[in-house]
Amino acid sequence: MCNITKEQVYKAIESVIDPEVGFNLVELGLIYDAIIDENCNVKVVMTLSTRGCPLHQMLTQWVQDAVKKIDGVNEVEVEVVWEPEWNISMAAEHVKKALGME
Amino acid sequence: MFQISKDYAPPFKMIEPFFVLGSIFYFLGTIILLFLHPKSGHFDFSIVGWAHWFLLGFVMMIIFGAMAQLVPVVVEVGHFAVDLYYIIWPLLLLGVLGMVSSFWFAPWLLPYGGLLVLVSMLIFLFETFMTLKKAQNITLTVKTVYWANIFLLIGILSGFFMTLAIGNGFDINLTKWLKAHAMLVLGGYVTLTIIGISMVLLPMFGLAHGFDDKPVNRAFKVMIVGVILYVVSTLISFYFATMLAWIVIFVAIANYFYQIYLIYKVRARKKEDIWSKSMFAGFFSLALAFIFGFFNLFIESEQLLLAVAWFLIVGFFGFLITGHLYKIIPFLVWFERFSPLVGKQKVPMLHEMVPVRDAEFEFYFSASGVVIAGFGLMLGSEDIFKGGVLLLVVGAFFLVKSVFWMLRFK
Ligand code: HEM
Repeated sequence: MCNITKEQVYKAIESVIDPEVGFNLVELGLIYDAIIDENCNVKVVMTLSTRGCPLHQMLTQWVQDAVKKIDGVNEVEVEVVWEPEWNISMAAEHVKKALGME
Repeated sequence: MFQISKDYAPPFKMIEPFFVLGSIFYFLGTIILLFLHPKSGHFDFSIVGWAHWFLLGFVMMIIFGAMAQLVPVVVEVGHFAVDLYYIIWPLLLLGVLGMVSSFWFAPWLLPYGGLLVLVSMLIFLFETFMTLKKAQNITLTVKTVYWANIFLLIGILSGFFMTLAIGNGFDINLTKWLKAHAMLVLGGYVTLTIIGISMVLLPMFGLAHGFDDKPVNRAFKVMIVGVILYVVSTLISFYFATMLAWIVIFVAIANYFYQIYLIYKVRARKKEDIWSKSMFAGFFSLALAFIFGFFNLFIESEQLLLAVAWFLIVGFFGFLITGHLYKIIPFLVWFERFSPLVGKQKVPMLHEMVPVRDAEFEFYFSASGVVIAGFGLMLGSEDIFKGGVLLLVVGAFFLVKSVFWMLRFK
């Protein structure tokens, strides 16, 4: 049995910031899921705001590093998916405000 | 699966010279304008020399630097031989200086500078074609990049051909070749390339998603047809087809405008910054060039033609390029200096790496300068033109200042 929670994983990823937009990946809504198995292997399912993002590899690396810092975590895998396509409605309210939506 | 590895990103020191030199050419180019006369026709070698100073030293220099970064993003493969970029800029630099000074002082020396520019661009083209060959996923964008580069190839060969004619005094119909050359490089390469790049960058920086991209795909296809039709019909003096080619090109640009509007409508980032203002000024200039260009089809006027060229080259090309410098340079500097520190210490955000006040000065001086000087050209008024140029010089000074500030950000 593993007692790492989804919340802990999300909390850890909050330390990863997209330098272009200036918000962390969780508040941008780029993290779709965190799957934790009984051996404490974590799989993060995420997307990026742009397909041609030149930071692609670095961002996924940073997510992996951040999750690895959680106590008791085993293997960490990061999968980048393009479905569903990210859009601004997935971001937190304060992010939308700061970008000038509504 | 789509992956941009770090290997795709060229080293900072490889592309930095393109941006530094480009900005300096831009600044000096505005100063040189103070010594030109708005009433000179576009055939005048003082004008042709300036056009190459600005287009090769600023526009092409920065496009090449940006391509080092962007071709892999568009094509989804790594460069064929990215190290070639180390020799592209020195050759281009020497070639532009040689070519431009020949236009101004010694036309018989033209082939030498022309040859250096030709070689530098052939290396760029060779590298780009070899990279394109590796592409697995042949999208319309890849095809468009391919066509744009074919146009550049024919464009520079036609330029070199004219250079030989001028340098050796043999007789060709320069008027026709000049038109074909200008259309190939300005419409076929620069405009098509800017349309292509903006389809990558506008949604990325504006955070726009889920828009219909049919208009730009139409614009690509129609523009390619228009350029080919124009060049062929001009060279064989088929006047009717040339007129048709213009209409086709206008249709392409109209589609591009519609696409920009669609992106603009769904953008998530609504806060104005120096980048979005520059984009706005650039598209406004393109709209002016479009309208005046349309009138120029029916009104034969050298002044109107110069104004069209002005709004296209200095306004549209100028603002689209300078605006993106405020995004691209901070990114490159950040990637080089701060990305290794992520997670270890606090790193700056990209928008903190832009000198906001100087950038605002740059924008307002340049925007008013472009508009005033453009109308000066159209009215044939030396005073209005020079007044506008003076504003542009001040704007360009702030651009150079901002570029160095961003490059030195620690
Ligand atoms: C190997 C490279 C090039 C050579 C040797 C070359 C040479 C020339 C020559 C000889 C002319 C005609 C001058 C005359 O008879 O009036 C000309 C005109 C022109 N070229 Fe180039 N060119 C080159 C590349 C380019 C590029 C890359 C651009 C644009 C990005 C460009 C833009 C123009 C324009 C706009 C004109 C018309 C200028 C005017 O009418 O005032 N050229 N070029």
